[in-house]
Amino acid sequence: MNIPKRLGWIPGGIAIALLIWFTFSTIGADRPIGASTGIAYMGAWFFGLQNSEYFQHIKNSGSWEVIFLIGVLIGGFLTSVFITKTFKFRILPPLWKKHKNNSPASRLIWSFIGGFMVVFGARLAGGCTSGHFLSGASQTAVSGLLFGGVVIVVLILTGRLFYKNL
Amino acid sequence: MNLNIVEFFSQTIDLVHKQHHGSIPLILFIGILFGVIIQWSRVDTFDKIAGFAILHGFKVPKMLFLAIGIASIGLYFMIKMGWAHYHIKPIVLGGILIGGVIFAIGMAILGLCPGTGPVAVSEGNIDVLTGLIGGLLAGALFTYLYPDLKSIIGPNLGKVTLAQLVNHDWFIFIYGALLIFIAFWLPEREVEEEVGEI
Repeated sequence: MNIPKRLGWIPGGIAIALLIWFTFSTIGADRPIGASTGIAYMGAWFFGLQNSEYFQHIKNSGSWEVIFLIGVLIGGFLTSVFITKTFKFRILPPLWKKHKNNSPASRLIWSFIGGFMVVFGARLAGGCTSGHFLSGASQTAVSGLLFGGVVIVVLILTGRLFYKNL
Repeated sequence: MNLNIVEFFSQTIDLVHKQHHGSIPLILFIGILFGVIIQWSRVDTFDKIAGFAILHGFKVPKMLFLAIGIASIGLYFMIKMGWAHYHIKPIVLGGILIGGVIFAIGMAILGLCPGTGPVAVSEGNIDVLTGLIGGLLAGALFTYLYPDLKSIIGPNLGKVTLAQLVNHDWFIFIYGALLIFIAFWLPEREVEEEVGEI
């Protein structure tokens, strides 16, 4: 059998929709998909903040999402090795080289800053692309749509200002 | 700091067992499927996500809008039939606006978000791993500062959905169709990612 090496946006989008239905359904997990709470839960745990107000507040969602993210790591790894054959240790994305610079050190530092902002921002907003957009907007939630609108505008503005040779 | 992984996982698994949101194998299964779909469609790459930020490629928003459009219609009726429940996040104006701005700037720079980031790590992107470490620190700092941040996040203005506001079944078809239309309307252009280098 010939397995395609890339999934187009139409089968990819349909597959994500099916996964949202399954996750929400009472035969599935009876909850939405989310990721950023899991990262915050993990960070807070490693820094010994289990007794803090916020940790107590997110520990249920956070622990669920940690298990979910372990699955994500397994699924992503297996697919990159066996289907798309893209597994490789690397630092510089081709597009970063083209529109930013050639320096691995610069990419690592900016990644750290970017990752910090992504999680801090998501926790302020109460969700990320998965929680607010995929799960929130699928329920027509006003909070998710508002977040999605702000993110798309600022994402494109940042793209204009941060990268060059556009 | 406490980096005892065994203790971390035993406590985490314990917390999951006390909830009614699926067994560990089921949650792992959902995660694996998510990882497979995201990796297989390659929307876990810097090139696809930052590529959208500079408007060179549109695969990420096309796939997102299509997924939400389809999911919204089915979910609405699943909830009506009692096969699923609403899980609405509250409107916290300050948090969503300020958090959304910080999140989006970070997403354009990192080229990934909390769901796609782990997929990128799993296929060997060391840069995204440093992003994940930044994210873990941010999570810890946010948890620590939370009592002071509550005033910025603002009051809970309620868990509102458009479907409940309109309160007619036809609305969900218009909503879903509009999102699916946007997915098809966005340009087909796509950044063809190559595999990066050390």
